Amino acid sequence: MNNRSAVLALALAVTAASAWAAQQPATAGTVGGCPAEPRAFNFCALDKAKTFNPPRTTSGKPNLQGHYRARLAQSYSFEGVSGSEPQFGAKIMPWTLSPPMIVDPPDRKIPYQPWAASIGRIGENYYKYLDPRTGCAQAGVPRIAQQDPNQILQPPTDDYILWLFEDHHMQRVINMTQRPPLGDSIKLYNGYSRGHWDGNTLVIDVTNLNGWDWLDDAGNFHTDAAHITERLTLFDPDTIHYQVTLEDPKAYTRPWTIVWALVRQKQPGFELMEEPCREGEHDSKRIRETGGFKFYFGESWRGR
Amino acid sequence: MRYAIAVTVLLAVPIAAAAQAPALRRMPDGKPNLQGIWQVLNTASWDIQDHPARLGVPGGQGVVEGNELPYRPEALAKKRQNFENRATADPDSKGYLPGVPRIMYMPFPFQILQAPDYVAMTFEYGAAYRTSYTNGTPHLKGPLNFWMGDSRGHWEEDTLVVDVVHFTDETWFDRAGNFHSEGLHLVERFTPAGPDHINYEVTVEDPAVFTRPWKMSMPLYRRKERNVQILEYDHGLLMDLEQAEREQRPLTK
Repeated sequence: MNNRSAVLALALAVTAASAWAAQQPATAGTVGGCPAEPRAFNFCALDKAKTFNPPRTTSGKPNLQGHYRARLAQSYSFEGVSGSEPQFGAKIMPWTLSPPMIVDPPDRKIPYQPWAASIGRIGENYYKYLDPRTGCAQAGVPRIAQQDPNQILQPPTDDYILWLFEDHHMQRVINMTQRPPLGDSIKLYNGYSRGHWDGNTLVIDVTNLNGWDWLDDAGNFHTDAAHITERLTLFDPDTIHYQVTLEDPKAYTRPWTIVWALVRQKQPGFELMEEPCREGEHDSKRIRETGGFKFYFGESWRGR
Repeated sequence: MRYAIAVTVLLAVPIAAAAQAPALRRMPDGKPNLQGIWQVLNTASWDIQDHPARLGVPGGQGVVEGNELPYRPEALAKKRQNFENRATADPDSKGYLPGVPRIMYMPFPFQILQAPDYVAMTFEYGAAYRTSYTNGTPHLKGPLNFWMGDSRGHWEEDTLVVDVVHFTDETWFDRAGNFHSEGLHLVERFTPAGPDHINYEVTVEDPAVFTRPWKMSMPLYRRKERNVQILEYDHGLLMDLEQAEREQRPLTK
């Protein structure tokens, strides 16, 4: 193990309890009756959604409520794991072979502008900075929905949707009524979320992002110019097709899209536990000091 | 006589309407609608008892019924020690979750979202949340140490009553060092007092620290700004941001 892997292994061990999603074989079995490969899953799930009539809330909206876990999602890299990565086959928390989660563009790579490619994709971010999630920052959108179970709640007044996450004890409140934009200078880890229904699909428009989160362990990133559009569609009684499109004129040449599944947790009495991060976490300071890693806070792209 | 009755009716209608409190907002299931963005207007997060002003701390009247806290003698000594060391010993100064009930009276807004089977609260401070199920489920089987406790709610007429257990001993009631053990048991009562106020009352029971239960109460005020929106104040992260800026300073000189 090189120094980076040793330190990263420590960092990952710190958050081992929350790496459940990462440990699941990305292609085992089928998901909601669809192939367990993100691109094939994407076609199949969208096709099923055309004829699936979701359960409804009392007010007639699609009822997405329940507890879910991510499938077809791995935390290593949205671009997939080919076997050449430094953390591949490591002794502790190894990366494992995984297909890309990107379904567009067709080459399934993040369409970085040239300057940005060397920062993301196991580049400057990975080697110089502490993964902000390891440092107990909010995981950001969409990474927050990847680790550990989450819960969607739809109060019957239809004015908000609440999305709760066990990972780092985080939450998102999605405004479902017409609301004005927030001032440009207000920047948030999880952004400002405004939602609406497009047929049976919950569409969430996320703005005011600070860009201080990473998308994955490989240090893939967006800047504070990013705009994220999420689409959540139930296509069978227990599976949501979760699609995320990222635009960022500062860092990318075009919008790009990733897809994974949110699968309902059906154990009777299932509830989210409290899993805070900073509380009781004593290793991040040591990781930073022994590994010489800097705090991120978007330093690699700020000023561009 | 008929004339007299008509006059009485004409007079009585507006008088009755004026005397009546504005109707409570209600949910489709008839329960009071507590949804909205709320905030205290007090100094309890610095000190839940009467206290004079200190630098950076507004003076304030306490929120404890009777003002005195029934500490056991050894616990009172610890409280005094906490107070002396509060700048670094307060768990809040380390960026940790403030716990319950302190999160309820941090000077930051929080949002209540509600359905027949739960009442959820999301907080700007620490980006925290609480979920209180009101579906009759019992507390989780302990022992558990949650920073925000395990909350179970039920309705007593128009009052939401929340029972909270399974705490850590690592949170304080305030910056002044008032503390509890992991045996803390809270009973919170949220009683709507008109459309824009909730009376918040919490009974504190912790036999390891206090000789008897005691009570705090305070109003929660609805934030009425047209665009009011919960933002993020993740204090632990903001501490890291300051640290990052300190580390960068030599580079920029």
